[in-house]
Amino acid sequence: MTTAQKPNLHDAVTPLWWGTIVLRWMTLAFALGAVIVHLDEYRNLTLAWAAFAVMVVWSIVTTAAFVRVRSRWAGLVVADVAVTCTIMLLSPLALSDYQFAITAPLLTTVWASVAPLTAGARFGAVGGAAGGLIVAVSTGVSRWTFDLDVARDGLLLFASGMIIGMAATTARRSQAAVSRAMRTEAATAERERLARSIHDSVLQVLARVRRRGAELGGEAAELANQAGEQEIALRALVTSEPLGPSDGDADLRAALGVLATSRVQVSGPACEVRLPADTVTELLTAVQEALSNVDKHAGEGAKAWVLLEELSDEIVLTVRDDGPGIPEGRLEAAAEEGHLGVAQSIRARLAELGGTARLDTAPGAGTEWEIHLPRPVDRRRTTR
Amino acid sequence: MTVSVMIVDDHPMWRDGVARDLGEHGFDVRATAADVDSAVRVSATVTPDVVLMDLNLGEQSGVDAIRAIVQQLSDTRVLVLSASGEHADVLEAVKAGASGYLVKSASVTELVDAVRRTADGDPVFTAGLAGMVLGEYRRMAETPSSGGPPPQLTQREQDVLRFVAKGLTARQIADRLVISHRTVENHVQSTLRKLQLHNRVELARYAIEHGLDQEQE
Repeated sequence: MTTAQKPNLHDAVTPLWWGTIVLRWMTLAFALGAVIVHLDEYRNLTLAWAAFAVMVVWSIVTTAAFVRVRSRWAGLVVADVAVTCTIMLLSPLALSDYQFAITAPLLTTVWASVAPLTAGARFGAVGGAAGGLIVAVSTGVSRWTFDLDVARDGLLLFASGMIIGMAATTARRSQAAVSRAMRTEAATAERERLARSIHDSVLQVLARVRRRGAELGGEAAELANQAGEQEIALRALVTSEPLGPSDGDADLRAALGVLATSRVQVSGPACEVRLPADTVTELLTAVQEALSNVDKHAGEGAKAWVLLEELSDEIVLTVRDDGPGIPEGRLEAAAEEGHLGVAQSIRARLAELGGTARLDTAPGAGTEWEIHLPRPVDRRRTTR
Repeated sequence: MTVSVMIVDDHPMWRDGVARDLGEHGFDVRATAADVDSAVRVSATVTPDVVLMDLNLGEQSGVDAIRAIVQQLSDTRVLVLSASGEHADVLEAVKAGASGYLVKSASVTELVDAVRRTADGDPVFTAGLAGMVLGEYRRMAETPSSGGPPPQLTQREQDVLRFVAKGLTARQIADRLVISHRTVENHVQSTLRKLQLHNRVELARYAIEHGLDQEQE
């Protein structure tokens, strides 16, 4: 049996359950009719009435339980099949040979068909089919024969249990998909609302604190600087793309935007630059490595600029700083000493992607990384 | 000569703060406005030299105000002073006729300098705006439009824009390219003007194609 899903409070298959309940009472009426019609033919009429009484009680019990989502217990559904089969298997004791000869209904009559449907609604296709099969086998055992009638009943029980089960599974899956979509939509709407509200309040205050504090100088300037850092981080956060399925693509422009601080300015086209998500991660890491070097070597006051350009056949990333630059021979010396520094790491990363990375530096002229990456062929001609 | 300024922003605290900063630095803050309608109406009356425009005016967009102001006041220049995250809006604002862009997190010194330069007719280009303008020219070159050929940058203009986008100052660019500081400014100005002209032509063509020119009469 497949993993039984725990029914949640909004069971998508509730209509199916209601169907089984209605069917249970209709078939119970049929069972009553069958007893009355065959009244004179029973071998043990008392047992027939007793069986009918149990069916009435069981119908009440299951109806009471199955109308509510919370009490659609797996155990009760299994018991439903068991009770149905047990009553059915008592038929040889109650029915006369004559009744068997004319293929009169067993004690359970068509009431027996409800249990497999319930199993299907609860456990899905495999559960429904299994329930149908068990009841079908019981039919065969009760009649102690295997003919066309038994085969036909068995097939119908098996198929109806399975079909109801498939319907239940499909309904649950679509409900899950819908509620997932609704959650995503709600999250996006909430994010937009937050972004608007943050933009209208917190960001304005932070921007103001930053400017005013910078003018006052001293400790206020330090606080202003921190306010500024937070302002930029918050802005990047509220303008970044909501997370969600994106066909394995990501926007490099938005990804780089997060790197902006009061000392790092990020520029690029106004529109998205979509690339495979892995490529975006690699490029972002390469830029972060270059920026970490700026932090380490270019000194406190150094600023850095990141420029993203999307050409027809390649992506160009430039990371420039206005620090003191790297003295000639310094990189070569480091490499000879076996330091596989950041420069090597960036070059290796780009080589892996099929691109190149070049470092330009001179004492007093800062450093400038220029990273070139040919655009993936399949995306080259897509239009926006 | 005193430079007259009008400030358009929907946040009272920000608006008043900027007004005070500019006032202290000798600017004549003639008016403030909080929405598109009053910005257009009031600017026509006070005819400021420079309009400082926020792009995010509650539900409205400052781009609409820029379009109207640039159309009715040929001597007034618009400097966008907006949040840094609004890439597409900033580009639209510049295409609509704004002559510069400064992020709200800029310092007072930067703001004062930017307003002066705007009043003098010089473009105020941040690295961020240069990156966007570069990207826009490339996008136009690759996206076939219904009308005539899209504007193109000369090699020199492209070099200058790339330098600006990489954070070099006009002075540094002039040194690198061995041209005058003035020439650098002119190149930047020209990239903007071509973009704005193209935008106007496109808008006019769109209006004619959709019969909007008659409805407005």
